[in-house]
Amino acid sequence: MSDTTTMRPELTEAALEAAPPGRLKDDPILITFGMLKTFGGIRAVDIDHLEIERGTITAIIGPNGAGKTTLFNLLTGFDRPDRGSWRLDGRSLGGQPPHRIARLGMVRTFQLTKSLSRLTVLENMAVAAQTQRGERLERALLRWLWQPEEGRVRERAEALLERFGLAHMVDEQAGTLSGGQRKLLEMARALMADPTLVMLDEPTAGVNPALTESLLEHIRELNAEGVTIVFVEHNMDVVMDISDWVVVMAQGRILTEGPPQDVVANEEVIDAYLGRPRDPADGEDAEDA
Amino acid sequence: MEFDVIFGNAARAGLGPQAAIFALAAIGLNLHFGYAGLLNFGQVGFMMLGAYGTAIMVATWGGSLWLGIPFGLGLCVAFALALGIPTLRLRSDYFAITTIAAAEILRLLIRSSPATDITGGPFGLQAIANSFFDLNFLPDGRFGWGTFSYSSNQLWVMIVAWILVVLCSALVLALIRSPWGRVVRAIREDEDAVLSLGKNTVAYKLQALVIGGVIGGLAGVIDALQQSGVGSENFEPQVTFFAWAALILGGLATTVGPVVGAVLFWFLREGVESFIRELSEQGWLPDILADFLDGAEGAISIALMGVGLVALMALRPQGIFGRRRDLHLGT
Ligand SMILES: Nc1ncnc2c1ncn2[C@@H]1O[C@H](COP(=O)(O)OP(=O)(O)OP(=O)(O)O)[C@@H](O)[C@H]1O
Ligand SMILES: [Mg+2]
Repeated sequence: MSDTTTMRPELTEAALEAAPPGRLKDDPILITFGMLKTFGGIRAVDIDHLEIERGTITAIIGPNGAGKTTLFNLLTGFDRPDRGSWRLDGRSLGGQPPHRIARLGMVRTFQLTKSLSRLTVLENMAVAAQTQRGERLERALLRWLWQPEEGRVRERAEALLERFGLAHMVDEQAGTLSGGQRKLLEMARALMADPTLVMLDEPTAGVNPALTESLLEHIRELNAEGVTIVFVEHNMDVVMDISDWVVVMAQGRILTEGPPQDVVANEEVIDAYLGRPRDPADGEDAEDA
Repeated sequence: MEFDVIFGNAARAGLGPQAAIFALAAIGLNLHFGYAGLLNFGQVGFMMLGAYGTAIMVATWGGSLWLGIPFGLGLCVAFALALGIPTLRLRSDYFAITTIAAAEILRLLIRSSPATDITGGPFGLQAIANSFFDLNFLPDGRFGWGTFSYSSNQLWVMIVAWILVVLCSALVLALIRSPWGRVVRAIREDEDAVLSLGKNTVAYKLQALVIGGVIGGLAGVIDALQQSGVGSENFEPQVTFFAWAALILGGLATTVGPVVGAVLFWFLREGVESFIRELSEQGWLPDILADFLDGAEGAISIALMGVGLVALMALRPQGIFGRRRDLHLGT
């Protein structure tokens, strides 16, 4: 990591010593080696080593354009790195298509919410179920093979929607939901897929403060149930509130990582690379426009 | 002015085998675009393969018609795979462009001289439907009255064609209401979202393409049967666009939309054409206009239908049966 210092001389050696990037974890669920992705001349992601500890909540922070979303895209198979390898639970994911990575238990959400507009809220949830064998064409017409499972899917979906305060919207088309509600639906939908590792790209952007509070509560609960969570976040209050570990990215690289108190105490890092914390409400709106 | 004649001609076209053939083609397109979001501009290619596969088996190879029909539909499956496998991973516009080009290339190949030995080239193939009409259990003679008078064999084709329309509509409805159909409709909304939930979207799109293509192939089979032959001039690109017009008229992503749209399309097309012909014959048009229109009634009718469709898009963009709200929810 020594070239991080040469690239950014204003970073003090002491700051890096406190929390050197690429730190090894006791029980990593996700391990990334030598990940590089360039767009034209831009090194959007250039990470030597990154580990995510199982069962923790990890926040990824960094200024706009730092490469956070690109890193998500690479890890979840939505984009291919120029080079690099990564493993989920010891299983190599390089070259795997995104749907297979999702089935292996790493499920992501998107910075720009992707709701299935003309499907109902319930259908949005049901699509995420991994247990409905009637999704296979050869069974589609054999109703008796999948009808019973539909009931169970609906039950699970309704329970999750209840948690996310969307129970009253079950039969509404998802396109009629507000931006914040869609964000919640997308997260509930990701959980419906029964992930072991969830990757949330700015889950609180565009969600009002009251809902944000309950959303964070859900993230905590989920984590308590054993799901590992990685999330991108611009709101430092949120980061400080719920994360066990913070990874700071800038210009495609990992600047530093560590427990939130240590990272935030590192004023230089925050000032140089995070800028002023953004209002949680303005992120999504600005990008939707 | 003989409105009963005009109406009679129009209604006959709306009931006739052509309407059923276009209904089938539109049902296939509805699965492609209405439900799966696949922009197929080459539906006529599937119709052509269904028709030619059947005809080649019978007329060229001397095989049975009952082997010919599955052979034709098998060619549709192959065409769908050949179209879909290379392009469905790419952005959707690549697929759209490929379909229109592939269908027209196929037609040019079929009518080319080197292919004459197999396809009959520009002459097409004839006398292929005997075994089909052997099954006709209707008595000989004519049925109906006036404009709606049909020979036994004509009626037989119509009955079979409309039964197929009902069966295919029911099949698509059942598929779309299944969990499989839910994934397909979800892909239409946002493919990446569905990928992120662990579904192999390319496989689903390919399956939808094959099924809708085979239904289009069935339209071609009926066309070959009702003419007891095939000719490449029946499979020009406009056929695809008429099927699209029928689908949009009736309403996307609805069960009855493609069927009612096809009936209405042929009703209006024939009605307008008859109306113009009547106008000229009654001397209600200035001579100069009548001369201009003479022999071009069909073309004028199509042009007016196009204008009508544009007006429909302005007034009722969701088609007759579509839900307007859906348009505003589209991404
Ligand atoms: N598809 C692409 N083509 C070209 N450049 C891209 C592409 N995707 C991302 N980039 C570039 O890569 C860099 C990292 O972008 P990325 O979206 O990963 O940043 P981010 O950290 O998620 O930012 P934000 O906080 O604004 O969401 C940026 O410079 C961006 O312009
Ligand atoms: Mg981003």
